[in-house]
Parts: sequence; structure tokens; C-alpha cells
Amino acid sequence: MILAEITDTGLAALTYGIGALGPGIGIGYLVGQAVQAMARQPEAAGMVRTTMFLGIAFVEALALIGFVVFFLGQA
Amino acid sequence: MIFGLEFPPLSHIVDWPVFLFEDTAFGINKVVLVYFAAIILTVLVFVLGNQRKLVPTGAQNLAESSVNFIEDGIIMQSMGPRGLKWAPLLTAMFFFIFFNNIFEVIPGVQMPGTARIALPMFLAIFVWFVFNIAGMIEHGPIGYLKHSLIPPGVPVGLLPIIVPIEFVSNFLVRPFSLMVRLFANLLAGHILLVTFAVLTAALWTTEWYAVFLPLPLFAVIFFVAFEILVSFLQAYVFTLLTAVYIDSATSHEH
Amino acid sequence: MRRITRLLLIAALGVAALVGTAAPAGAVGESVEGCTIEAVQEMLEGKEGLEPGTPEYEAISEETEEAVADCIEAPNVLLPEINEVIWGGIGFLVVLFFMMKFGFPAAKKAMTDRTAKIQGDLDAAEQAKADAEAVKADYESKVAEAKAEAGRIIEEARQDADRLRADQQARLNEELTAARTQAQADIDAAKGQAMSELRGEVATIAIGAAESVVGANLDRDAQTRLIEDYINRVQAAPSGNGQG
Repeated sequence: MILAEITDTGLAALTYGIGALGPGIGIGYLVGQAVQAMARQPEAAGMVRTTMFLGIAFVEALALIGFVVFFLGQA
Repeated sequence: MIFGLEFPPLSHIVDWPVFLFEDTAFGINKVVLVYFAAIILTVLVFVLGNQRKLVPTGAQNLAESSVNFIEDGIIMQSMGPRGLKWAPLLTAMFFFIFFNNIFEVIPGVQMPGTARIALPMFLAIFVWFVFNIAGMIEHGPIGYLKHSLIPPGVPVGLLPIIVPIEFVSNFLVRPFSLMVRLFANLLAGHILLVTFAVLTAALWTTEWYAVFLPLPLFAVIFFVAFEILVSFLQAYVFTLLTAVYIDSATSHEH
Repeated sequence: MRRITRLLLIAALGVAALVGTAAPAGAVGESVEGCTIEAVQEMLEGKEGLEPGTPEYEAISEETEEAVADCIEAPNVLLPEINEVIWGGIGFLVVLFFMMKFGFPAAKKAMTDRTAKIQGDLDAAEQAKADAEAVKADYESKVAEAKAEAGRIIEEARQDADRLRADQQARLNEELTAARTQAQADIDAAKGQAMSELRGEVATIAIGAAESVVGANLDRDAQTRLIEDYINRVQAAPSGNGQG
């Protein structure tokens, strides 16, 4: 198997790459804001961290659905 | 020759032959052995940790600090004191998932039990039943449906739109995203490791392009460390989300 | 307890050994169900030296295509294997049962016991400290009491001494006064007696003088001179003369 061949697989991989863009930006923004919040209120850091992980988990799910679609496209 | 890389098909990376009880539904393959190892490790941590010493050492430290972590780091942050009765379930879930995950980087095994969809699917369905049944016990079947489908303060006119959205997000997306998150994270990590390991092996030659060997080698080392973090984080997130779902199903306020 | 641990360790080692010896998938050269790139390549190498169109060549081509198709048609990773679902489910339920029945309560109990024990120890230490402080306070109060007692005794002794001295002083003074008074009284008595004796003597003498005056018939001047002489004689005479 040769990677980066323009096949269904390649297209699926490209789809995943595009699908990962949004969650990437989202997670970056989310973590940045969380770090700001923790810096402003260090006493609330525990709560912010938990909420941050929850948010990351939800945003990340989009990228992972893209990852799964990659396998669907391959089949 | 084609200057490319001989790479196994992706679906074969995690495909393991059944070598015991082949023709029954109880066939045992490497992934099942990873499950067994995870069970034994979990039991071992708590059996070794049950020493009742005043000054905890070793496994006792691990068991007790993990109990603390589950109670203070997960339950108190998401459910509050009334969620403490769920601590055994969440502890079992955390440890089982974590040990299944961590086999991703254990030399000689190198296969997370959760990179196959079977276990995440089972756990997600299990969690789905747990939070729905807990909610029904808390509110009664009708009350639970009302509680989870109709957010308070929504105008009646919007209900035909809101109710299907809430239904999909509460009853379909939740277990699906739980399953996909765990499975896809671990599968992606496994593929990453395989990719760079295969690349490293392919560059292990006497040809001139062996000078690129350090790049995938360091990538493998880096990703092993990264995957340890991911193993922990995914077990944590799965447990945390379980706690949040149970909380939202059993809470009396929104 | 130790036997359970050992058994579990042996089981874990056995599982690890089994897992370790299971065929690695995904590595270069080996894959499941004979589907490897190298196997296909070997088949393709078999074609070298054969003329295209011969039956052998076609047979190898077909075989190769089938192998490649097998490779591509591997089960999709999104489909769960029933045996893994069953074993994973059983495994999780076993862990859950263990955790709910033994693991978690034991760990929790160990922690609460420790909390209680440390709290108890701290309380006991606090109690012991309080006790020691009470004993110390008691001791100190006793010492203070003893000191006060000693001071009191000394003070009393001094007061006694003072009083004694004052008493003695007073008695001495009294005795002195008494002695002095006695002496004065003696003196006074002696003086009175002497006076009365003298007065009698004087009267006797005066009577004698009068007798002599009357007897001698003297003039005034002579009488006066006589009396004065007499008195002077009496005065100048030693006291022993008074009685004579």
C-alpha cells in the first residue's frame, strides 16, 4: 500500500484532515481561555480544569467522528 | 522499486487471530488477554493495597490515592457529595479502562484493549443503562423523560424542535460519543505508534537514507510518552463523563 | 493474604507471557491470516521469468489478486467482534463486582480507620498534654504553697522573737520601774521615819532648849542665839547624834 495515493482512502484521509481543523482551533481557544481563567483565579483552578477537560472531550469528539468516518470511507 | 513504505492495511493493525476456542463465541485472542491482564492488575492493586498499614507504602498508596482521586477529583467536581455512592462503579471503570489503555505502551504487548470497538461499545452501553436507570429510579419513568427531554423555561411553541434535539443529544449522542472518543483516541494512538515504528524499522538499513532514522525514532519515544498521558486522560474523561451523565440524569435542578 | 497475592502475581505473569508470545500484528512482514505485503510480493516474484499469457502466469496472477482482495477486505475496525464484547463485558462486570464488594470498601475503610486512628492519637496526645499541664500546675501550686508556708513560718518566728524581745523589754522595764519605785518608797519611808524621828528629837531638843532657856532666864537676844546655836548644832551634828 502506498500512502498519499489519490484513492478513496486518500480522500477519506483528506476528509479527516479537514474535519480536524475546526476542533483543533476549538481546543486551542478553549484551553487558552481556561489557562487565562486559572491565572486570574487560581483558587478556582480545580473547577476550571474539570470543566476544561469536559469541554475538550466534547470538542474532540468531532475530530474523532472524522477519524471514524475515515475508516467508514475506507471500507 | 517504488520509493515508498510497505505499510500494513490499517484494519489489520488491530486485527488479531483467535487462538483458543476458535469456533465458539468465547474465542480468546490477544485483546481478550489484555482484558484479563487489566482485570488482574486492577484486582492486584486493591488486594496488595489492602494492608491496613498506618503509613501507606507502595500499592496501598496507589489504591488509596486513587480512591481519593476518584472521590475528590471526579465525583466532588462533577456530582458533589451526593454522588459519593457511585464511587465504586467509577473506580472500577477508571482502573479497568486505564489498565486496558496502558497496555498500548507496555513492551511485548503494545496493544490497548480499548483500541477495539468491543470494549468501548460495551462500556458506553453499560453507562447508558446506568444513567437511564438511575434517572428513572430518581424521577420515575415519566418524570425522567420529562426531566431529560424538556429543559425548563422553554416556550411551548419551541417544544417540537427542542424535544427531538434533546432526545438525540441525551439518548443517542451521549453513548455514541463516549464509545467513539475512547475507541478512536486509542486506535489513533496505536496507529501513530505503529506508523513510526514501521518507519523506524524501514530506515534501519545501511542505505544512505538511514540518516533519517533519528527522526521517527525520537517520534516513537515522544509518542510513547504522549500515549501514556492519553491513556490516563481518556480513562479520566470517560469516568468524568459517566459521572456527569449520571449527575444530569439524577439531578433535580438544571 | 500472601497466598492470594502470589497466585494473582503468577496469573498476571502467565497472562503477560501469553500476550507477549502472541503473534505481533502490524509489524513489517507478519500479519494475520497470511495477508502480508511480502507474501503478495513473493507471489509476484514467482511471475518473473514467466511469459504473460501462460496458464502458470495467469494462475499466479489470480492467486495474487485474491490475496490482495483478502487483504483489503479485512473486517472493518468499526465492527465489534462478538468474543471481545463477551469477554470485555464479563471482565468489566468482574472488576465492578470486585470493586463494589471488596476493593473499594476495603480501601475506604482503611482510610477512614487511619483518619480515626490519627485523630484518636492526636486526641490522646492532647489529653496527655493537658494531664501533664495539670500535674505541672498542681506541682507549681504546691511549691508556691510550700514557699508561702515557709515564709509564713519565718515571719511567725520573727514575730515571736519580736514579741519575746518586746516582752522581755517590758518586763525588764517593769522590774526596773518596780525596783525604782521600791527604792523610792524605801527612801521615802526612811526619809519619813527620819523626819518623824527628827521631829521628835527636835521637839525633845526644843523642850530641852526651852528648859535650858527657862532655866537660865536669858534675854531675847540670848534666847535667839541659843536657839540658833542649837539648831546649828543639831544641823552640824552627825546623823548619829540625832538619836542621842
